[in-house]
Amino acid sequence: MKNFSRKQFLKTAAGAALVMATRVFSTPLHAADKFFREPPWKRKKPYWGFAVDITKCIGCGRCADACKTENEVPREAFYFRTWVERYIIRRNGEVNVDSPNGGMDPFLPPHDPETVTKSFFVPKLCGHCENSPCEQVCPVGATFKTEDGVVLVDRKYCIGCRYCIQACPYGCRYFHPVLHVADKCTLCYHRIKKGLNTACVEVCPTGARMFGDLSDPKSAITKFYETETTNVLKASMGTEPKLLYKGLDKEVR
Amino acid sequence: MFNLFKFLRLSAAEVLDGDWRYYAWMSGLALLSLAGLNAYSVQLVHGLGTTGMSDHVSWGLYIANFTFLVGMAAAAVMMVIPVYVYHDEPLHDVVIFGELLAIASIVMCILFVSVDLGRPERVWHMAPPPLGKFNWPDSMLSWDVIVLNGYLFINAYVAGYLLYMKFLRKEPLKILYIPFVLLSIVWAVSIHTVTAFLYQGLAARPFWHSSIIAPRFLASAFTAGPAFIILTLQLIRKFTAYRIADAAMLRLRNVVQVAIAINLFLFASELFKELYIPDEHAVHMQYLMFGLHGHNGLVPWIWTALAIEAVAIALLMLPASRSMKWLNLACVFAVVGVWIEKGMGFIIPAFIPNPLGEIVEYLPTLNETLICVGVWAFGFFIYTAILKAAVPILTGRLRLGGVPYTAEAGMEPGGIPKPDFGAGFRPQGARWVDPGPPGR
Ligand code: SF4
Ligand code: SF4
Repeated sequence: MKNFSRKQFLKTAAGAALVMATRVFSTPLHAADKFFREPPWKRKKPYWGFAVDITKCIGCGRCADACKTENEVPREAFYFRTWVERYIIRRNGEVNVDSPNGGMDPFLPPHDPETVTKSFFVPKLCGHCENSPCEQVCPVGATFKTEDGVVLVDRKYCIGCRYCIQACPYGCRYFHPVLHVADKCTLCYHRIKKGLNTACVEVCPTGARMFGDLSDPKSAITKFYETETTNVLKASMGTEPKLLYKGLDKEVR
Repeated sequence: MFNLFKFLRLSAAEVLDGDWRYYAWMSGLALLSLAGLNAYSVQLVHGLGTTGMSDHVSWGLYIANFTFLVGMAAAAVMMVIPVYVYHDEPLHDVVIFGELLAIASIVMCILFVSVDLGRPERVWHMAPPPLGKFNWPDSMLSWDVIVLNGYLFINAYVAGYLLYMKFLRKEPLKILYIPFVLLSIVWAVSIHTVTAFLYQGLAARPFWHSSIIAPRFLASAFTAGPAFIILTLQLIRKFTAYRIADAAMLRLRNVVQVAIAINLFLFASELFKELYIPDEHAVHMQYLMFGLHGHNGLVPWIWTALAIEAVAIALLMLPASRSMKWLNLACVFAVVGVWIEKGMGFIIPAFIPNPLGEIVEYLPTLNETLICVGVWAFGFFIYTAILKAAVPILTGRLRLGGVPYTAEAGMEPGGIPKPDFGAGFRPQGARWVDPGPPGR
């Protein structure tokens, strides 16, 4: 009898300890799980994102111009941190894309307007991807993501191997002809750090471009994200760009 | 230590000494290398704008050659495996030439990557910490830095050790080199696999983003590499006293036979997958094979490559290539065919059209071509120099305290060196080619 009760006691104690241990450990695990399930922009403050309303863009190209001025991007027509493309979709399904000098030169009217079904402008820039392949492939870690979600290139460390240029599915990077390093949109990091808007958002006359803090539930971009039907470019790539488009046509690549 | 010094000094003396053909060849290579260096200085001053590469096609001839040469380096394994795993006799005496080729190829690889950098003065950033900042294991390029340098080291060590022991007239200690030889087998496969992963891992470039790339790279490497080694061996036995049996050539011919067939099969498989039901990613293959919207810069290249590879495979399969003349021709075709297919035919189409659908073609500039020629010339220079020192060591003429051309020093009366078979080699029915008079 004595023997049995001791066994009983040990069993109960072990059981109780197990239950308590589960409780004790599960609480932080639960919290950690919740933390990691949430999108990163809910975790860090601030966490920058960008949005473009294609239905509002008029193709004036002022963003591309402002970006070149603000960031001293070479003026030649191959180097852009942001540019505007025009899509012309014809009745026979043909798609024409043009971007004269990145949209800074006037878009000429199509010579055969009667064949055109629809046409629209798509401003492009780096999406500061959550899973950025460019950052992953850089052999020296010169491409990196900041705490607040911006993908940057360290100009002083980049060796100019151009591997990142191959890795970006959106053609957002170019090779700087003077500095001989990779270059791309910085989300005007020098400006946003001071609480200013990016240069392109600043000059956009129609409000087609939007920049803001995704971690702030009251910011305009969060509202946009939560209320509009948006899409990202090449979602199948799994890069998760923080660049949302409203009104994205299936022909846009 | 003193002996090592003597080994290096005598080898160097051997490299500096030769007949007029040797001098002409080496001066020609040196001149070409210098021309390349001069072209590179132009590129250094004016940037990569001096190349034909653009914002759209941002890798070109340099990376194409790099890719090809990684294959040449890896190909040594096709001699190492038969010799050290299957104890193949005919190849036993020539396996070292494969290892030496690997050394020269890796040097060229490193040069090709270096000339491709926009900021070459920062190349040390790629070194492991604390020197540089290594994005390892994320970046395939840092993997490549590790495996290429490791491979260079392994081959330099194994070849150097065996030659040194030969020079000392000592039996090499198995424990000191066999583990490295076995490591080099795995390592050789790894260098080409990592190089394939470099491309294969990029979802952004559908032409490269295919799981068949690594096997294709290995197959093409094992085509071009052994074919090149056959050609080298022909030259070695023509110009030096070193005797190489036809059997060794024929064994390598078997390797090339199989590899080139697999290579073409894998290419055909890729072609089928891309073109049978072409999706939007098939444009690159269409551009490569047939041209796209009137742009067809690569079409003649790839068809030439396929045509000469087809001739090569036909020759290799026919008994005709048992005769050395036809074998040589087949090998030249195999090497050139793979060079086109794997270089221009693999790197460039991935950029055309670019991710935004624009078509910008690529044509290397003269300056860029000169740099490539320079690197190749430098590689040949190194390879010839190493061979120049290695061959007399292997024939036993260059040895510690050795008096050349005596009976004890491994010479038969009349000054013809005794063929040196290495341990356990019995030439059975091998046909010997008269090596002609000794080297000098
Ligand atoms: S859009 Fe391109 S450059 Fe920008 S973070 Fe994504 S992969 Fe990198
Ligand atoms: S070009 Fe510069 S940023 Fe891009 S992968 Fe190479 S080192 Fe990194």
